[in-house]
Amino acid sequence: MDKHKQRWARALGMAAGLTLVLSACSEKAKVDPATQIGANPTLPGAKDFLVPPMQVPKGVGWAANAMPKVAPGLQIEKIASGLLHPRQLLVLPNQDVLVVEANGPGEEAVSTPKQVIAGIVKGQSGKGGKGGNRITLLRKKAGAAGEWEQFVFIDKLHSPFGIELVGDTLYVANTGNIMKYRYTPGATRMSDPGVELGDLPSTVNHHWTKALLASPDGKKLYVGSGSNSNITENGMDVEYRRAAVLEVDAATGASRVFASGIRNPTGLQWEPQSGKLWAIANERDEIGADLVPDYLTSVQEKGFYGWPYSYFGQNVDHRVKPQRPDLVAKAIKPDYALGSHVAALGLLFYSGNNLPAQYKGGAFVSEHGSWDRSPLSGYQIVYVPFANGMPSGAAQPVVTGFHSADEKHLYGAPVGLAQDAEGGLLFADDVGNVIWRVTSVKR
Amino acid sequence: MKAEHHPSRFSLSKALFNLLDPIPFGFFVGVLIFDVIYAETANVLWMKSAAWLVTFGLLFAIIPQLINLAVVWFSKRRIRSRGQVINFWLNVVGIVAALVNAFVHSRDAYAVIPDAVWLSILTVALMGIGRIISAGEVVTYKESIHGQA
Repeated sequence: MDKHKQRWARALGMAAGLTLVLSACSEKAKVDPATQIGANPTLPGAKDFLVPPMQVPKGVGWAANAMPKVAPGLQIEKIASGLLHPRQLLVLPNQDVLVVEANGPGEEAVSTPKQVIAGIVKGQSGKGGKGGNRITLLRKKAGAAGEWEQFVFIDKLHSPFGIELVGDTLYVANTGNIMKYRYTPGATRMSDPGVELGDLPSTVNHHWTKALLASPDGKKLYVGSGSNSNITENGMDVEYRRAAVLEVDAATGASRVFASGIRNPTGLQWEPQSGKLWAIANERDEIGADLVPDYLTSVQEKGFYGWPYSYFGQNVDHRVKPQRPDLVAKAIKPDYALGSHVAALGLLFYSGNNLPAQYKGGAFVSEHGSWDRSPLSGYQIVYVPFANGMPSGAAQPVVTGFHSADEKHLYGAPVGLAQDAEGGLLFADDVGNVIWRVTSVKR
Repeated sequence: MKAEHHPSRFSLSKALFNLLDPIPFGFFVGVLIFDVIYAETANVLWMKSAAWLVTFGLLFAIIPQLINLAVVWFSKRRIRSRGQVINFWLNVVGIVAALVNAFVHSRDAYAVIPDAVWLSILTVALMGIGRIISAGEVVTYKESIHGQA
């Protein structure tokens, strides 16, 4: 009988040992995040895991009067709440604000057991909340403080994200097309049913957001089309016109690939001093808590930025088969690393006069936060100073406090950024379902 | 060797075991074949299919291996042979390798190679040897009955 017990204990010990081995396969971040910000981030060696680094705070939203924290000299107010996954903002000429409310279309087929598990894990954070598939118009109540009035402006959209107004033409980038509407100034409901300007890549929709930016003359539209996988695990044939910035002719809807190899480009903006196109990008997951830093970069015409074959220039990703040394050789190193897994999703070059002088001329970047890092990173809005059209210093946190100090609860997560006529910084929070406005403290 | 129980008596656990036990082995052979094809072609279809096979193989392995556990270690009615014990441990190690392999298959794209291939070979080899050894055991059992008749 003793022999039985001994064997039984041995079997149990083995099971416990295995659990230990598996949990030890995941890892905590080791690199100082400050060394992964700027032009030359520290890049540790890539690792394969049995279980990748993972930490997902539970999405709980904001308690009654709770708010994000702002840097000294700033104040924050809530201008809208109860929205359905607000993502992007557009300030109209009459100071109404359009809020694009959406989430992924949920059309990606479950083709691996991992997706079943990942869906459950990520759903915990509140980032999986159902999108409104609509655009809500916010209008400030004349002379009254508090939240702004809300009007449903356009509904029944299909995972919209990018939005631009050129003259009286309103462009909305759904996940699968660009719609064109005639905008009537002052309207609180879009009366034009709209026409499709052109289609956009919409198979699989692993990354579904289509960021949108018009050229200063309004003749071209630039569209961020994210990759259809983390790192080609869905095959290269679904990556056609993906991980790219597309250029669309506003007159005809004809389009071409403007730049490629950018895994998930969003926040397309014109850098005011150089007039160059800039974007933020979310880099690849699952080769380490400290890999690969997401980045902010100028986007050169016909430039190739590495994905999937390499990252930050010539750092080859061994997970891609076949490898392409010819493309790795010409991969452009992005201009500015923002930190690993911060998940930047909003970019704004600030040109207003309301915020303190230190925030002028540079860029605000909203970091939505990722599941693939422990401890958490991102979940904040940072300011990156610029000089002569290039980043000129370390990113500084401006809006923080989106998660609890113990990293267990998530109140909100910043996405789209905009600047209103008074120079206030507006941002959408798609976990708290709130639009916030940051201004200077009144003296 | 003397059989203590009546040979014609129907045993639910034995029936379940016989029904379910070959399934995971078949699945794991499938995983090995698909992993080798993926390693050669880099066509993700094979890797995704192998990920499902290894997952379902593990699910199907639970019940027969619990029965195996009970029969080998807790049954008072049967004499435990050396072959059964070896088969049990080969299965345990093979399934642990398959479990690790399921996690390896959760990696993206070519990051599953070469680990997946080695783990698949290990699982199939161990479980295969176990099955060959137990085949030997059955022959011994039959012979002993013949001897009595």
